[in-house]
Amino acid sequence: MISVEPMLLVQNIVNGVFMGLIYSLVALGLALIFGVMDIINFAHGDFVMIGAYLTFLLATTLLVDPTLTAFITMPLFFVIGVAVYKGIIERVLGAEPLIQIAVTVGLLMVLRNLALMIFKAEPRGVPFTVFGFPINVGPITIAASRLVAGIVSLVALFLVHMLLTRTKWGIAMRATADDREVAELMGINVKKVYAVTFGLGISLTALAAALIMTFSRADPYLGLLYGLLSWVIVAMGGLGGVIGVLASGLIIGVIEAIGISVVSAGARELFIYLTFFLILWFRPRGLFGRR
Amino acid sequence: MAKPNKILGIPRRNFYGIIVFALILSTVPALLRFNTYYVYLATDIILIASLVAAWNIIGGYAGQLDLAASAYMALGAVVTGNLLAFYGLTPWLGIPIGVLIALGVAVAVGYPTFRFGIKEVWYALLTAALVVILSRIYWLIYGSTETYLPTYEWSWFYLRFNRYEPFYYMLVVMLAIVLWINYRIRHSKLGYYLNAIREDELAAEALGIDVRRYKLYALMIYATLASIIGGIYVCITGVVGYRNFDPWLGITTAVMGIVGGLGSVEGAVMSGMILRTLEDYLRGTIGSQYPGSHLLVYGIILIVVGVLKPEGLASLIEYVKKRIPWLKS
Amino acid sequence: MPKTVLRVVDVVKRFGGIVAVDHMSMEVYENEILGLIGPNGAGKTTLFNCITGVYRPDEGDVYFMDEKITGLPPHVIIQKGIARTWQKVRPFKKLTVLDAVTVGALLRIPDVDSAQEKAKEVLEFVGIEKEKWSRLGSEITLIEHKLVDLARALATEPKLLLLDEVAAGLRPHEMDRLAKVLLRIRDEKKITMIVVEHVMRFVMGLSDRIVVMHQGRKIAEGSPQQVASDPKVIEAYLGTKPL
Repeated sequence: MISVEPMLLVQNIVNGVFMGLIYSLVALGLALIFGVMDIINFAHGDFVMIGAYLTFLLATTLLVDPTLTAFITMPLFFVIGVAVYKGIIERVLGAEPLIQIAVTVGLLMVLRNLALMIFKAEPRGVPFTVFGFPINVGPITIAASRLVAGIVSLVALFLVHMLLTRTKWGIAMRATADDREVAELMGINVKKVYAVTFGLGISLTALAAALIMTFSRADPYLGLLYGLLSWVIVAMGGLGGVIGVLASGLIIGVIEAIGISVVSAGARELFIYLTFFLILWFRPRGLFGRR
Repeated sequence: MAKPNKILGIPRRNFYGIIVFALILSTVPALLRFNTYYVYLATDIILIASLVAAWNIIGGYAGQLDLAASAYMALGAVVTGNLLAFYGLTPWLGIPIGVLIALGVAVAVGYPTFRFGIKEVWYALLTAALVVILSRIYWLIYGSTETYLPTYEWSWFYLRFNRYEPFYYMLVVMLAIVLWINYRIRHSKLGYYLNAIREDELAAEALGIDVRRYKLYALMIYATLASIIGGIYVCITGVVGYRNFDPWLGITTAVMGIVGGLGSVEGAVMSGMILRTLEDYLRGTIGSQYPGSHLLVYGIILIVVGVLKPEGLASLIEYVKKRIPWLKS
Repeated sequence: MPKTVLRVVDVVKRFGGIVAVDHMSMEVYENEILGLIGPNGAGKTTLFNCITGVYRPDEGDVYFMDEKITGLPPHVIIQKGIARTWQKVRPFKKLTVLDAVTVGALLRIPDVDSAQEKAKEVLEFVGIEKEKWSRLGSEITLIEHKLVDLARALATEPKLLLLDEVAAGLRPHEMDRLAKVLLRIRDEKKITMIVVEHVMRFVMGLSDRIVVMHQGRKIAEGSPQQVASDPKVIEAYLGTKPL
């Protein structure tokens, strides 16, 4: 029997909760794109990876904290997202899932290998951040960087929730998600909504990447990890909106933490993907309902 | 009923096509002057072409975007490799055992997956996750140490040689067999049913097709072929480890199948051979300066094919066929 | 007394809070064409899906040739001899016309060559010209789609054929062509049919008997003339749109 130090487990679970918040942030972009546009984007995780490298470049060139680079990378990624939408995605709207998957896998290979060409597979970390200190709460230690990342993610999730429920754009997005034809009849410019949705989804990955870089390193292989992870969360969260994504992200973060504590760090993916299998088999509509 | 227009259950022209294709491929090592490196590359290309042709059964015929080709291939490889390395068991027995284990995994995963109606993006993700899961499980059992197979100068019993030619010819035979199975399926009830499932599951079911059962058949045939290819592969490389469970190989196999045009095994084989040759060529030239650049080209091809020509290479082949009358049946 | 082919007994199907089919009962007799009509949302297609196994009814039962078939999966139901066509054509786009019909024929004839012969026979019967047989599903017109759909179903050698709005979207002369084929199916192949239809001229001229559904229930039944003059039917239709 594997014995687990209870305090260590609690410590890992607390870390898992904060990681879960970041996962939710990444997955939210994917959930928006999939939910509103019905586009299957396999390249989502690779935008996180590119964002991480970009954060590294900007932070070390401008000598600013990685978190601050988000003010540059988010608008930039929005533009890139719109450009990718116009150049590629718009042409496969409504195409067979297989074609969408093929095209976004192509996009993924381009992004990933661009990173490989430029950075030669070397992981890069930003050597400084103002949030490098630990915070002790009783016996639990939390790295300030993770705390900040978690809180910022939560705020961002809240803002997107407000955007979706309270603004004209958000209502247009939800109307388009419900029924594209009806939305068009209501006078919504669907193509424009799609472009903005894709841009927004991609720019959220830039924010997540900036946060991740305060405690982790950029690595070309981040793409596959975050890509699959986001899909697992979307499968779990279904179309349960921001709340569904948040809850699923937290569950995944905690499951991962338990996997690390009980078996080993190498088992984290094992636990996540086994959960994925079980969710698809037994709750194919997600924990919070899906179409 | 006698069918004079068929040989071994496939149309005459397909049968001769396979024979001619295999004979042409057989001349390649001589054309390469038996240069070790080039024959190695040629072996690699035939291996990938066989794998893509096997994938065509689940991906092209049944229309399920399976990304786990490398999982079944790796199961064949690690079982065959470890049995040979630790127990001295000949691959001639090791490969069948590997096939049984790959089949077990295929059924264990495929049965519930098809039972619960998981398809399209979710099937693709599930199979991509399968590769990672198996890789982690292998890693938990064996760690990151790799197993090296014993070396023999020239042993048909242990399938180990100090040259690549025997493997090359073995894989040409394998490719021919995989092609034959593809044609055999296409011209049987199974093939018609798989195609109907690919086009419209609900309509297929309403015509009396037990969709789950036929999907599972396709998955089992594909897993069997992929694991045999894996068993041969391990004898070529002489080493196995958790890295055999490579998610990228699973994805690129599907990519080649898609570029080849779904359902067309000729397109799949062509695309596998062309893309792998291009990949090897680019890796040898610009790839050494810019790692990853060969795969970058891959990505661009995929986007262009997906956006402009979703029918893939197969439509090009059709185009040529229509213009060369004697290629028509 | 004609033989009953299909018996629907008290079938209920709900979706969330909505009752799509509400204690529906009806009988279909051997070798008749039964028209099933009703305003939009009357539950006709849902009833079809309950009979063919796409949905499992929440209550009630379906009997085919006195055998209970409630809740059986679609591929088993067609084995018993109930075939259907779809409201929106569901073509096999990348298969040729001949191959698509062969898929249907393979249900009873496992040998591909013999199944293909059977498919040719059926294609000839529904009147699709030989030169169209090698066309892909994506390359034919709507009426041809409808006929291929019909041929696919006929090739499974059904005893009962369910047609879901076959005439929708067709021009008048195409409807006449289709109606002739359906009458030949009844008279030459002795196949019983249920025809769900919105095009009144088509269904009234074709059917031996009519069942009218409204809000998930049967509100009238009888000959086309009886039904057309039934005040309940007129009211149901006028409540939504005129006949």
